[in-house]
Amino acid sequence: MKMDISEDAGVVKVGLVGRLDTPGVDAVETRLTAALVPRAARAIVDLSGVEFIGSLGLRMFITIARALTRKSGKMVLYAPHGFVAQVLETAALDDIIPVEPDAATALAAVRA
Amino acid sequence: MSSAAADGSRRLQLKLPATPAGFSRGFDELRHGLDALPLDPRARFGVELVFEEVVANVLRHGCRPNGETRIQLEVALEHDAVRLVFEDDGPPFDPRERPDPAPPTDLEHAPTGGRGLMLIRRFSSGLEYLRTPEGRNRLTVTVPRVQRDGKR
Repeated sequence: MKMDISEDAGVVKVGLVGRLDTPGVDAVETRLTAALVPRAARAIVDLSGVEFIGSLGLRMFITIARALTRKSGKMVLYAPHGFVAQVLETAALDDIIPVEPDAATALAAVRA
Repeated sequence: MSSAAADGSRRLQLKLPATPAGFSRGFDELRHGLDALPLDPRARFGVELVFEEVVANVLRHGCRPNGETRIQLEVALEHDAVRLVFEDDGPPFDPRERPDPAPPTDLEHAPTGGRGLMLIRRFSSGLEYLRTPEGRNRLTVTVPRVQRDGKR
């Protein structure tokens, strides 16, 4: 699991590439949480490179998004595709965390 | 030590310890074995998702307090479906008794977990559980090879 984190104009940009299965979540969760939550970040997360996600990946996003919201931060996911998008839809994740089709709409949503 | 074998009968067998390292190795071996099977992308994703959720559940809830729980998996490629039979020697656990979580209403009150079985149900067409006379959990999950529109 590969993760890139950068910042641009007050928004943290996270790129995830690979599989958000149990080993993948184990590899990134602590680092992602530490990069976003203490600073109450406004963050957009690119899922276009994620080829697999299970319930543990959903749990990771819910836990981080909730921690951010409590500190007036925000997380927006964008560009899930294929079966990853189906998993997010099955769990109705977009009812509680914004899921946008691309980076531009994600940026607008995270700044709203 | 886990092992995998795919033979001409289109079956794949795995044995792995219910540990994080066993999970990771077992998943790699499963994916390698699946590469040799003619599966459409949805069935392939479904098989991997079922493995992820079932094995993660055994790691979280099904390990014996003393001694190592071992998981055995057989994947059989049938005409219209892939049948996955998981066996473990952990405490009795019938996942069919677990209801799906209620739809989330807001982020603050959304449950963090409990979605694994819901995902299994979405990507499978059958879920059977048996506590064997030998004291093992046997979970059989059927993943369809044919989509609802009739395409394979």
